Amino acid sequence: MRYEIRVEGHMSETLTRAFPELDHVVMSGQTVLYGSVVDEAHLYGLLARCQSLGLRVMEMRQLPE
Amino acid sequence: MAGLEESGPEASSPRADPQGDPFLRTRFAVPTRPATFLRRERLVNHLDQALLTPLTMVNGAAGAGKTLLVADWAAGRDRPVAWLTTDAADQGCGMFWAYLLQALRSSGVPLPAEIGFPADASRVDHTLLARLAADLSARDRPVIVVLDEYDRVTDPEIAEQLEFVLHHAGRGMRLILVTRTEPLLPLHRYRAAGDMTEIRAAELAFTSEEAAALLELHGLRVPVPAARALVERTRGWAAGLRLCALAAQESPDPETYLKEFEADRTTVADFLLAEVLKRQTPETQDLLLRVSVLERFCPELANALTERTDAEPILAGLHRGNAFVEHLGHAWYRLHPLFGEILHAHLRVRSPLLEPELHRRAAEWLRRCGSLVETLGHGVAAGDWEFTAGALVDDLAIGQLFTGLRSDDLAELFSRMGPEAKSPATDLVRAARELSRCRLDRGLTHLRRAEQSLAEERPTADGAPGLAAAQLSCALLEALAARLAGSPGRAKTAAQTAEKLQEEVPTHLLDEHPELTALLMTHLGSTWLWAGRFEDARAALTTAAGCSGGASTALPREESLGHLALIDYLNGWLGRAERKALAAMTETARFGLPRASGSGIWLLVLAAVAVDRNELGQAQTLLDAAADSHGAMRDPVAAAGRAIATGRLLLARGKTRAALEAAEPAVAADVVSPWAEGHTALVASAAHLAEGRPETAAKLLQAVPDDQVACAVEAARAQLAAGRPVAAIDLLDSARPVGRTGPAVTVRASLVRAEAADRSGDSATSRRLVAQALHEARRERLRRPFLEAGPWIRPLLSTGPLRGLAAGWLTPVPSPHGGPPRLEDQLPAPVVEELSGRERDVLQRLAQMMSTEEIAADLYVSVNTVKTHLKSVYRKLAVNRRHDAVRRARELRLL
Repeated sequence: MRYEIRVEGHMSETLTRAFPELDHVVMSGQTVLYGSVVDEAHLYGLLARCQSLGLRVMEMRQLPE
Repeated sequence: MAGLEESGPEASSPRADPQGDPFLRTRFAVPTRPATFLRRERLVNHLDQALLTPLTMVNGAAGAGKTLLVADWAAGRDRPVAWLTTDAADQGCGMFWAYLLQALRSSGVPLPAEIGFPADASRVDHTLLARLAADLSARDRPVIVVLDEYDRVTDPEIAEQLEFVLHHAGRGMRLILVTRTEPLLPLHRYRAAGDMTEIRAAELAFTSEEAAALLELHGLRVPVPAARALVERTRGWAAGLRLCALAAQESPDPETYLKEFEADRTTVADFLLAEVLKRQTPETQDLLLRVSVLERFCPELANALTERTDAEPILAGLHRGNAFVEHLGHAWYRLHPLFGEILHAHLRVRSPLLEPELHRRAAEWLRRCGSLVETLGHGVAAGDWEFTAGALVDDLAIGQLFTGLRSDDLAELFSRMGPEAKSPATDLVRAARELSRCRLDRGLTHLRRAEQSLAEERPTADGAPGLAAAQLSCALLEALAARLAGSPGRAKTAAQTAEKLQEEVPTHLLDEHPELTALLMTHLGSTWLWAGRFEDARAALTTAAGCSGGASTALPREESLGHLALIDYLNGWLGRAERKALAAMTETARFGLPRASGSGIWLLVLAAVAVDRNELGQAQTLLDAAADSHGAMRDPVAAAGRAIATGRLLLARGKTRAALEAAEPAVAADVVSPWAEGHTALVASAAHLAEGRPETAAKLLQAVPDDQVACAVEAARAQLAAGRPVAAIDLLDSARPVGRTGPAVTVRASLVRAEAADRSGDSATSRRLVAQALHEARRERLRRPFLEAGPWIRPLLSTGPLRGLAAGWLTPVPSPHGGPPRLEDQLPAPVVEELSGRERDVLQRLAQMMSTEEIAADLYVSVNTVKTHLKSVYRKLAVNRRHDAVRRARELRLL
């Protein structure tokens, strides 16, 4: 399954390395992380990682395959 | 229960956790507040409510200021607060509760010794929680417990147990959870009852006034409207504001800087951290990045990672300035959790290849100064298997791959080891993992390779302490391999080698690992037992059974007691066998070890005893239990034990063909086991006899080594059935039961003689012999021989004094209206043994439809203890289900 996670603010290149499994794009005050998510556990892990990095998650949704 | 724990070496408060490592004192330290900490009265006042509600939850994102708020509040209490920073590394319930109990003790809350403590890292006895709750509930003033970083507790079982203790401690406990995520507790129930104080993210957020006050503490004067903009930008996030202050402080024009920050659109922590980081000296930056691979660190460990010597002043300075690090007391620090993650990301960008090397250095430092578990963790993270396996073997901890305590964790850790890792230690670990799953051939391949490379290693000048430990580990694995192969010669050699090596290994290592000797002796004893050398086996097994060391030796103690029980059973002593088997069960039940780790030989013995007592349903239950839960250890003794119990049960049920099949030896072993062969022949012979083929039966037993009394008795029975009473008596006379033979054999012998006498018309002798057999069998409730004896015995049992001897345990108590009691009327069997007080307690609760768990909680005992009581209640009432037990108890007016 593919997901995108929208976080508030522009993430630095360094910080995006904390999500090596996801691609990212920066746009209008937000950063979108997107890519394949292995399973639910991975999904929750990504959310926890956002929290650990002090990121504010604005939106998360599954993408059509 | 309390008596058990008091008698152990663990009687007083323990200095080590269930894994044998010293407690990390830093986890009990209330974090110190930095000089720039801002006390916010509105939050402190709200937190005061925590004294009035059982549960308080402080809930907010990383860096929201939760921990410091509670730490500040706790420091202002007039009584001790038990503080525990939970740790993701120890997910086991046992570790959690061991640490929580220790947190209570180290905060000065006196706990009576009889509460005990968990011996196993992954389990906790329910009665311990009940005792803790009972103790807390009896207090006048509640004990305040803070669990910081509770979001790391992901095991729902821990949440359940915490809820249990909180509920039953009543007014005696006030629990404060500091957490990033909602805990797995039934919060709605607490909320609905008004039993909960909640401080959540919105409340933790800084107001503009508070932000201005915080910046002022950092020497920055900012008017409230400007502060409001900052609060908007950071959403009142404490960590953001703090970083902001730090960055502005070092900027030439703080005010402009703050304005720029407001306008910037990057993520707050990311931007600010990079800003603050780049203003540090290169040495400080380097240190911060490197320690980001560690959970916690002291200056020496940080120095080991940086290969410099300046960690102490740098860390002290960082802590003073409230940047990045928190002081945990005792010269240990940790990175602020939020910054730790970001620093880790920076490390990956700046020095992508450094990480494994840092883990390796940490592992090496920890191996010298820290715990084995942390060493192994970093060793694995470094991908250095030679090092990691070497640390395990040098520490003489290889036995822990078997003992069920840490075995799962260790197996998991080493499961990622690839074939490229080559050292004697990695081969030993591979051999141990294969042998623990009874893969003898694969295990031996690895073991032989390890032995070979160890033989080539020469002891170096400094004594090479690792070599002896590795060789001793080899000897242990060799003994296990010998046990699995049924090879007494190899087991003996291994034990002799081990004995010599034990003198070369440092004494403290042997003391720390009592499981090594216990396992070795169990393997040796099991192999002797297989070879039929009962006295040698008994000596080794008794040594193993007598080993101290609590949980670490529980499994070998269980196994050796189970083997001793088997010896008693084979010698015909049912009562003794049963007592030892139950003692074996108690050993592991006490520590809540996983059932699957042992061979479960005691269950097989209990099943065989139940067959001899004609408690066939019970026997089947026990056999099923053994098959379900004891897959791990498949050694020849266990296989033979299972064949005997199954074969005898099928015989008793009249399924002779199935019995013949079940009794066939299904094990390959280096030497022949006389008793295993004997019993196979015995079951086969009895099956043929039951199907009316006495000649075949007699022939089968001729091949058996002749010193087995049980076989001689069965052969005599076959001869008698074939119409050769003289030959039968001759057989019995020549195999005169020796002193060690118990009732299960002698009663059968007496009955053969009695039958012979009966046939020759000598009814007086026959009666005398049956009376003697009844006397002997009665105490053991040995019913099977009488049921197998054939129709001739029935008239004897229903008349005269013999009727009285048999009544009540073998035949029903005669009804007052007379009529001959029939042997077939066995069911329902009469109660032959009084119920104990505790069994009565359990039975009464059973009648009230309480579940096993409820009974356990009600009686303050463990679920396993209740199950044990239930088993003996079932046995004594001759039933298999709780419903039947209640019905039967009502019939007998026990309720």
